[in-house]
Parts: sequence; structure tokens; C-alpha cells
Amino acid sequence: MIGVLKRAWDNFRGSGEAAVTVPPMDGALRPNRLLEEAPVVATAEAPDDLADGGRGVVFSSGSRLCRLTPEGGETIADLGSGITAIAGEPGGRLAAALASGSIVVMDGAGARTSIASLGDGPARCVTALAFASDGGLLVAQGSAKRAHTEWKRDLMERRSDGTLWRMAADGANQTRLAAGLGWPLGIVETQDGRLVVAESWRHRLVSIAGGGRPEPVLADLPGYPARIRRDPAGGYWLALFAPRNQIIEFVQREPAFLARMIEEIDEAYWVAPSLKPSSTFLEPLQGGAQKHLGILKPWAPTRSYGLVVRLDAAFRPVASWHSRADGTRHGVFSCLPDGDRLLAASKGGDVIVEIRPGFMTTSGAT
Amino acid sequence: MASSETWTRWRYRYIPDKFVGEILSKSWIDTLIPVMILAGVVTVFSIAMPGFLAASSLSDIARIYGEYLIIIVGITVVMMAGGIDLTVGSTFALCNLVALLVINSMEVNLALGIPAVMLVGGLVGLINGVLIGYLGMRAFLTTLVMLILIRAVVDQGLLDYGQVIARGFNASATWEFMAIGDVFGVPSSLVVAVVIAIVGHIVLTRMRFGWHVSAVGGSRRSAYNAGIRVKRTICATYVLSGLLTGLAATFYAARMSSASADVGKGLEVTMLTAAVLGGISLGGGRGSITKAVIGAMIVLLVQNSLIRMGLSSGTSSLVLGLLLLAAVAVDVRWVKNRHKVLARAYVSPTYFRLPPLPETAAGSDSDYALNDKLRGVEAIGLGELDGPEDVIFDQNDNLYCGSRHGDVIRFFAPDHKRWEVFAHIGGHPLGFAFDREGNLHTCVGGMGLFRISPAGEVTKLSDETNRSLLSIVDDSRLRLADDLDIAPDGKVYFSEATVRYEMYDWMVDALEGRGNGRIICYDPKTNSSRTMLPDLQLPNGICVEKGGQSLLFAETWGCRITRWYFDGPNKGRKEIVVDNLPGYPDNINRASDGSYWCALCGMRAPVFDLALRMPDFRRRMVRKVGRDDWLYPNMNTGCVIKFDADGNILDVLWDLGGEAHPMITSIREHKGWLYLGGIYNNRVGKYRIPGADPNWTSLDDYWGERA
Repeated sequence: MIGVLKRAWDNFRGSGEAAVTVPPMDGALRPNRLLEEAPVVATAEAPDDLADGGRGVVFSSGSRLCRLTPEGGETIADLGSGITAIAGEPGGRLAAALASGSIVVMDGAGARTSIASLGDGPARCVTALAFASDGGLLVAQGSAKRAHTEWKRDLMERRSDGTLWRMAADGANQTRLAAGLGWPLGIVETQDGRLVVAESWRHRLVSIAGGGRPEPVLADLPGYPARIRRDPAGGYWLALFAPRNQIIEFVQREPAFLARMIEEIDEAYWVAPSLKPSSTFLEPLQGGAQKHLGILKPWAPTRSYGLVVRLDAAFRPVASWHSRADGTRHGVFSCLPDGDRLLAASKGGDVIVEIRPGFMTTSGAT
Repeated sequence: MASSETWTRWRYRYIPDKFVGEILSKSWIDTLIPVMILAGVVTVFSIAMPGFLAASSLSDIARIYGEYLIIIVGITVVMMAGGIDLTVGSTFALCNLVALLVINSMEVNLALGIPAVMLVGGLVGLINGVLIGYLGMRAFLTTLVMLILIRAVVDQGLLDYGQVIARGFNASATWEFMAIGDVFGVPSSLVVAVVIAIVGHIVLTRMRFGWHVSAVGGSRRSAYNAGIRVKRTICATYVLSGLLTGLAATFYAARMSSASADVGKGLEVTMLTAAVLGGISLGGGRGSITKAVIGAMIVLLVQNSLIRMGLSSGTSSLVLGLLLLAAVAVDVRWVKNRHKVLARAYVSPTYFRLPPLPETAAGSDSDYALNDKLRGVEAIGLGELDGPEDVIFDQNDNLYCGSRHGDVIRFFAPDHKRWEVFAHIGGHPLGFAFDREGNLHTCVGGMGLFRISPAGEVTKLSDETNRSLLSIVDDSRLRLADDLDIAPDGKVYFSEATVRYEMYDWMVDALEGRGNGRIICYDPKTNSSRTMLPDLQLPNGICVEKGGQSLLFAETWGCRITRWYFDGPNKGRKEIVVDNLPGYPDNINRASDGSYWCALCGMRAPVFDLALRMPDFRRRMVRKVGRDDWLYPNMNTGCVIKFDADGNILDVLWDLGGEAHPMITSIREHKGWLYLGGIYNNRVGKYRIPGADPNWTSLDDYWGERA
């Protein structure tokens, strides 16, 4: 009863659950063009995840697993199905999750093990992988029901049936660490052995302690968090693949419109986050994104964005790298510290770029 | 179509939501609150007290009402100028005393006595006025101190002259008429009060002094900067208030002939309550005599009824005090939030369903398949222009276009590199057309229809049309004249995009999906305009056909082009020529081969088409989401289509990616080239039309070859 009243009141006031406001990008998240202007390391079609497999940096692009070389990338394996996440460990082992429903673990010698099931179902819709410090494998499943390709729909309906698993590297001893997550898209193990997960649909990072409820460590992000990586020098790197936008938050709370949009309109033209800047007039346009004198304003409302954030050891943002509404390096799902540089893979911009964080001191302002 | 959608369609057709916003945007809306309070008061007391509205009961209080009304007109003027007058209670008592002394005891002629009493009141007002207006003292404190001071004077006067007054009696018939007389049943004081209220209303709304008062109250600094003598105006309002209080006191003296210490006690609070209840803002600048009249009525009815219900005078004051508090609270919140309420309520979406979106994919066999014919068009005035909505050529091939700065710009032939400001109008010129004599006609957003002679002389032709019978917004004034064309007989047909939005909000009109625009005809013979076709969905481009009896017009949000016969055997007939365009048509112009060019200023997006079928969704969006984040039609891509008189699509020109011409609002063919304008663009584009007649000009096509 109280819940009903609260919902009615929130609806009237536009507060609480009914709020369509989005947090501003300010402070450490103040916009700049550093990601947009960062030097290109490799061009590849929709690079998704990055991993360090002991012998150089590996990235995934479609169904291909590629190694980053000074000239760009070379394919090391084609796994036959879309790769949804990869993970590496310094010992040379690599793990890759496939959209077809399995996780492939390769050791340094090239031997492959396939993990086909997760819990009592197929290992499908794996959104993030990480090797734990004890050599085990951490697996995040975006949704127990939906396929990975249906992420947009899952996001718009604000589902939260994602799970987090721990298992041995051969798939044995599977334990479910958490359930009811809103599309967990990144896993990181902290110095003291806690697990922190990027709960993308809820715009926050949560800490998973054994059995307890997920505890937010960073909430109210202005975008959808994706992969998170620990920096050997301390702190963390977080990629956010799309910005939050008032109209998207609004449509999420309009069940009738949402249902008809999903039913009647091609997914590419939805009012939904996107990985690329708008390229066709069939996509929706917001008033502030109207071009004047041939120019799209960088601060225009946008459904795609590029954002990499540096977090300190307590998960507080300290600096950020942006590609704004008028840029192209959008849809960054993953970043990876590699020596004194940081690599960021822009899935929407089809490039992998390098950031030299040493050039950046504090707030990200130029 | 789902049944719920049918219901939505009927509901939005027959329940005109837009009236709410339109009524809220009227300046008289402030008066509606006191009217409602009055209605409430009357209802409550009619139920609580039988006979409340009986004539006898009303005539009793009408006499007191007259006196109140005289005072409150003065107070209204003071408050409109941003001040407050608390002295009225004491001034009233003082004037009552003086009136009894001068008129009753000394039996001075009324023609001298009444002005003398008023002068006493005026003098008190003058002291207030000098202190507040010229010395800049706080109105509240000053008039409060004066209230106490004058009260002391009155008490002293009562001691000194109490005996004298008690013995006085003026037997003049006029004095008696003032006390108990009436005109056709209306008490004398009320008759005078009504005259004063009418004069006050005229002064406040129609005359210089009233406008100065409102200006000073609205913004003292701006009034000063505008050259208004602020100090004198403020001083005058207090003097006026004093004079009127004096007059009211005379009526009171005639009626009661008593000078007790209670006279006028608490009157200032009563009057203040009345004024604020009526909706006269304490902050100044907002108010009217009407509001004062209603406010006084409410207070008097409440006061009187409470007494008749047997409440002690203390309780009655309590109720009045609470009323004042409530009224002040409402006043503060209303003034602060009024524009927010309006902004949310004004946009009123309605149901509109477009047929399924035609295919536009490249390589498809659709008429509208994407291509990049407009890639690499030449640019004219790149970076120098701001908003060339339309482009036109004179007989010497000079190019004319508009700019957002309110200029008509002329680029000189033959290369169109050098330019000058041909004429300055002040508003953004949109559509252009030349008449037979070589005068340039243009529609100017926010201003109307203008003519520019070849020498650059600007003449306003029309800025208003006939007002329609049932519209709430004033639709006689032209808000957004858009495109025009001239018929062979010299009549100018022009479109007004919308009557509900101003020039820079025109895209918000898309969220409504209603026919808010119209086509108007200006007749040079009578020098007047008349609305010909109302309720069109952003009528935009207009092109008179070669036969001279019909024109084609584009409805931007309706995505269609319609032919309308304004003359000849088919006069009055309307027929759709092109329907279900993939984008939003803008200007239409003739092509050299007898067909027509039309610019599509934006393209349809499936999501927006769906939103048009869900008006509730759009209304909630306007209320909840920030303005820059609203869904709009996609205006970042445009194209050009060519169609013939039967509506067959002959060609389509795209600029893939929209780098150079994100939005195309107009096209003009001239000597084998097609020129492209755009209301948000920084250039005019120039495209070579393959195989077009290199000698064809629009001017010759309309008015024939010149010698």
C-alpha cells in the first residue's frame, strides 16, 4: 500500500523512481576532447573488449580474437561466433565468451577448453569475464533470459536478472555470487579481494561481498558503466559505453510507448542509447541536437558518447577522457592499462586509441 | 488500428485541450482566482445563511461597499506602483472628523467643504508621498508611522472638538442625499464609487499616468531608464490615495454623523486584505481596478456575514487576518510559478497519424532512394550568411536572400561573391517573390508581409488578418508569415505557419500535430488581408500554378502537398497532389520543364511518427523532460524533390551525411542552376541541373519576357 502511494506521489512530483533527471557531467567528469583527439593504435571493426594475455594485448572484434601489434592488429583466432567478453591473465591464459553460448579458455600453449553451461543453463549472454587472483574465473551474465544481442531491449525495459559466477578455469565448481543484477558489464577484484561489478542498467558500481546484498561503491553515474580494470599503479579505470539522456529515462518510464516502439520500430531507430553518433535521419532527434549553421554543438543531447574515467582506490572519479556529441569515438566498452599508457577500445568509432594519463593531472579540464 | 487508438483519435478531436494553455496565457487570467474565491464565498454563505442574497440585505451593505470602493481605488494605484498605504485608517478618521467639523458644525457649503476635506486627506498623502517618493523611505514603515501619528492627531481633535461636533447639524438636502439617498435604488456612495472606478480603470489601462504607475511598479529601474519620473509618480499615487480616502470619509460622515475613536480602526488591514485577495500583487506592477472591485466585495461579504452570524468582532478580525495571510501566500506562489504552469500547459499535443513511412534506402526502387547528387555543390556566401531561408533572382541575375539579423542581402551577378545589405527590415525574412513591377515581396517572421521596391524602400503591406470567431489566442495578428506567391491579378497568397507559436519556437508546433496554420490572401486593391484556408498543419511553401487559377501549398507537418483553386471554374476546390512524403515539405517553386521543385526541410523518423499517434506521451514529455531533450522531427537532413502537376515524383536530390546542407528550406531554379537555402544554414548552395534550360528564369516564367 505504502509502495503504491509512494509511486503515485513520485509520479506526481517527478521524484524518486519517476525522476527523469540525469546527473550532470561536472567535477572530475567535466567534458573535454581528450578521447576524441587521442592517437589511434589500431583500427578494427567494432573492437569490444581488451585483455592482457601475458604476450601482448589482445582485443576482440566480432568473432575474431586479435593481437595488438605496432602496425595494428593481427588475427590470432576466429572463434566462429560473436565474442562478447574476453579476459587474460599474465600467465598466458585467455578466456573468451561466445554469443553462441560457451566460454572458451585457451592456455599459453593453445589448448582450448570449452565451458558450455553456467548454472543449470547454457553459458549465454556472458557480458564480462575476469581471472581472479586465485586463478579461478569470474563470469558475469547480463541476463538469464535474453541473448546478448538484445541488450537494447533489456536496457529499455530496465530488467535486472543478471548474475555473477565464480568457477575454476575448467568450468568446475560453479558458484553463484550474486543475482538480480542490472546487466553486470564489468568485474574487478580489489586489492583486498572484494569483487566490484559495474551494474550498467542501474548506472552504478556495486561491491559483492559473500552472500550479502550488493553494496554501491559509486552510484548515479551520468552514463552506463561497462568494463572496469584495476591499474597496477593503484586505482581503477572505468569505461562508460553510452550517456544517460533525459528522453531515454523518460521513455523507459512510458510502458505504452515503449511497448509499441519495441513492437513496431527497428531497433536501430529506437529512442535508446547507441554506440555510434547518429548517421541517418531515421534515428530520433532531440531539439538541442538541431544543427545550426551546419554545426552540431558538442553539448547537444546525445544518445552516444565516449567516456573513460579514472577512479581512485576508493572508486571516486578523479579524471576523465571524453568524446562528445560532435565526436566519433563513442561506445567505449573497455580500457586496459598497458605500461605507461591506457588503451581504450571504441566500439562505435572502430578504433583502439591510447591515452597517456601522465599528461593529465587532475580534473580532466584542458 | 487498435481500438484504444480510435478512442484516442476521437478524444483529441472533440476535447480541445489547447484552450487551457491559451486561457492561461491571457493577461486577465489573474482575475480568475479572485472571481473563484468570490463565487466560493457567495456559495458558502448562501448555504449557511438563508436570505443572504436578499435584496434588503444587499442594499444595506451596498452603501458601505461604495465607501470601501472609493478607498480601494486609491490603494490599488499605490500598490500598482509598488507601494503600500497603511495610513488610510487614520486618514479616514481624520477626514471624518474634519468633515463633521467643517460641514456639520460650521455648515460650510458642500462645494467648498468636500474639496476641503479631500485636501486634508491629500495633504496626509502628500506627506507620505514626499517621504517615500522623494526621500526614498520605506513605504511600509513610513505609512505605519503616519498611521500612528495621524491617529494621535485624531484623538487630540476628538478631545478638543468632540462637544462641538456632537451639536452640529447640516440640513442641506445634498448632505442628506449623500447620507441616505439613492439613484434608482443604488446608494449615492456606490454611484460615485462606480464613476471613480471606471475613471480609475481608464486611467490605469489607457492613459499615460496609469502606464507610468504600472511601469514603476513593474520595474523601478527600467522605468527610470525609460525616462519616467519615478519619484513624482510615486508621490502622486499617495496623494491620490489620500484624496480618495477623504472623499470616502465625507460619505461616512454624512451617513453616521459620529466621531468616535473607533472610526477607521483596522480599515487599513481590511483594505489591504481586499486588494491582495483581489489579486493585486504586493510586489507592484500587477493589478487592476476590476481585481480591487472583486477583492473589496469578498472582504465586505465575509466581514458582514460573520457579524450577522453573531461572531464577535475579535473573531471576525481573526478570520480576516487569516484570509490576508492566505491571499498573500497565493499571490507569492502564483506570481512565482505562473510562467511555469503556462510553459507546461501551453503545448497541447493532439492525435495525428501518418501513413507508413516510404522506403528511402539507397538502391531500393523507391522514388525517394538515397543518392549523393548534392555532394559537392558550390557554396555562396559560406560563413557570411546566417539563415538564408529563401533565395530569389531579379532580372539582372542578382541573388537575394534573407538573414537572421533582419536584412535582405543582395549578391551581385555574375559570380555572386560580392554582397550588400539591400534592405533592413528588422525581422527574419523568409519567403520571397517578385511582382510584375519588379518589387520584391517578402514574408517576415514575427512581422508580416513586406514589399521592397527596386530602390530598396521597405513598405509594410500587412501584419494582420480577420480575427476568427472562436479563437482564444488573438489570431488577427500575423505571428509567423512564411512563404508567399503572387497571382497574375496581383493578389498575394501567403502562408502563416502557426498562430500558436512565435518565430523561434516554430518547431515546437510539430509536437502538437494540429492544424495551427493558415493561408491568407492580401489584396492590394483593398490593402487588406483575409484568411482563406484555416487549420493547416504548418502551411509552408506556396506556388501559384501556371494557369493562374490554382496554387500548390505544402503542409510541413502533414507531409503533403495540396492544390487549391482560388479562381476559375473550380474555385474553392482542394485536392491532394503528393501525400505521405518521407520528409517535411517546405518551399515549392516552379521548374524549367513545367514541373515543380520542393525542398524537404527535414525527414520523418519512425519514433516521431509513433509519438504523433500518442498525444498523452508527448504531453507528458513536454511536462517532464527538459526542453532541449524533447523529441523533434529530424531536421538535420534534408533533400529536394521534383514532382509534376499530377504528383508523380520525378527526381530526388540528397546530400548524404548532410555535411553542407543539413536542412534545405528552399530551392530556386535559375538559368540551369538550382539554388538551395536553409533557415539554419550558413550558405546558399548552387547545383547544376543536368539538362535544364540554361535561359529559363522564374521571373520570365511568371511575368513574361521583358523587352
